[in-house]
Amino acid sequence: MGSSVSHAAASPPSIPPPPPHAVGLAGVLPPKSEEKSEKKVDWLNLPCPVPFEEIQREALMSLKPELFEGLRFDFTKGLNQKFSLSHSVFMGSMEVPSQSSDTIKVPTAHYEFGANFLDPKLMLVGRVLTDGRLNARVKCDLSDNLTLKINAQLTNEPHYSQGMFNFDYKGKDYRSQFQIGNNAFYGANYIQSVSPHLSLGSEVFWLGHQRKSGVGFAARYDTDKMVATGQVASTGIVALSYVQKVSEKVSLASDFMYNLMTRDVTSSFGYDYILRQCRLRGKIDSAGCVAAYLEERLNMGVNFILSAEINHPKKDYKFGFGMTVGE
Amino acid sequence: MSSSQGRRGSLPGTSRDGEGLLSRVSSSISQSPIVYRGKVAASEAATVSKKLLWSTGRAAWIAGTTFLVLVVPLIIEMDREQQMNELEMQQASLLGTSSPSMAAPPLPSDRRSGQQGSSHLGFRHDSAS
Repeated sequence: MGSSVSHAAASPPSIPPPPPHAVGLAGVLPPKSEEKSEKKVDWLNLPCPVPFEEIQREALMSLKPELFEGLRFDFTKGLNQKFSLSHSVFMGSMEVPSQSSDTIKVPTAHYEFGANFLDPKLMLVGRVLTDGRLNARVKCDLSDNLTLKINAQLTNEPHYSQGMFNFDYKGKDYRSQFQIGNNAFYGANYIQSVSPHLSLGSEVFWLGHQRKSGVGFAARYDTDKMVATGQVASTGIVALSYVQKVSEKVSLASDFMYNLMTRDVTSSFGYDYILRQCRLRGKIDSAGCVAAYLEERLNMGVNFILSAEINHPKKDYKFGFGMTVGE
Repeated sequence: MSSSQGRRGSLPGTSRDGEGLLSRVSSSISQSPIVYRGKVAASEAATVSKKLLWSTGRAAWIAGTTFLVLVVPLIIEMDREQQMNELEMQQASLLGTSSPSMAAPPLPSDRRSGQQGSSHLGFRHDSAS
């Protein structure tokens, strides 16, 4: 950045002023300036890249909203500047994964109580559900550059509980992360900025109980108007995504995933409209799925949610509505 | 072939081998290869047109419901946005100054995802100046 400033300071004295008796157009047009429109790239001051797991964040935010079926009601009450409680009720059908092609829907209902503590350095989130599950998330800044994250989910059923520790280190233009999970899961990833717009990363993981390991590579190119990412993993998955910000309120996203083992191709295309009173996301899939998700602000702090998903080949229709009260 | 064996001597103009003139003519028409092929073609055409109608109906259903889910909320919301913009411009011209746009607190989805990552591709929410 320092080099471009010195360029700009050097250019004005070198421009001669136009002669006062200039003929024709030369007296009307401003003198040609010599400043370059592009800034010189400062290769020693590259920006810090996004964390590895958020490489496809824009595409996922636009293309994968939390679709649901049934009624959802969330109430968040802040007791303090840092502490808040949340109550949430869900009544509807949940899909049970089945072997046959039919979808089995089971009506479920649960109430979830949660507590959040938010500090600049420490974040604690806990949720308890009436079907016996407990979710906990901890994010703690151990130092300026080192962050510890803990994710845990405990369930009533044996052998379904999971926990994961993440240690993140943020460098000047790189980030690295080390993960330890239950079932002897170890993972590490590293991402580095190689240019002001391009960042490359890679990850390795090892599953102890199943003796599986994998390597993956990812690349992300982002500008003000668009983000393009690509990810390849040794599990045989290739994932590409592209998000284009068409205007301040509208962005379009597309996504392509190819599974080399099962020769499965999925591609989806979606839009994301962020208007003043609402946020509308719609997407259409190559598997014949059409989905839309609308969040509308009815009042200060009151949001109305509508979710729709139509699966044409399987003739599976899911519609849900809900309200979110509280900040 | 039973029609060709008409009763002997029953009809006027009966020929020696027992066929009536009328029955001979009608049978030659109704059993000619042209008529047979015509019948087969007509039934095939009926089947094809039934399938075409059925698949057109299915396509129309899929197109209609997809349009309903993807496009209709968009139209409604854009219309509301336009109405609000017009109202604000009216208010601004009435008051004589450019009124600041209403403060819009971020929607919960933005906040929840904001906890996971910092910037949203530069999405800017209108904020009171």
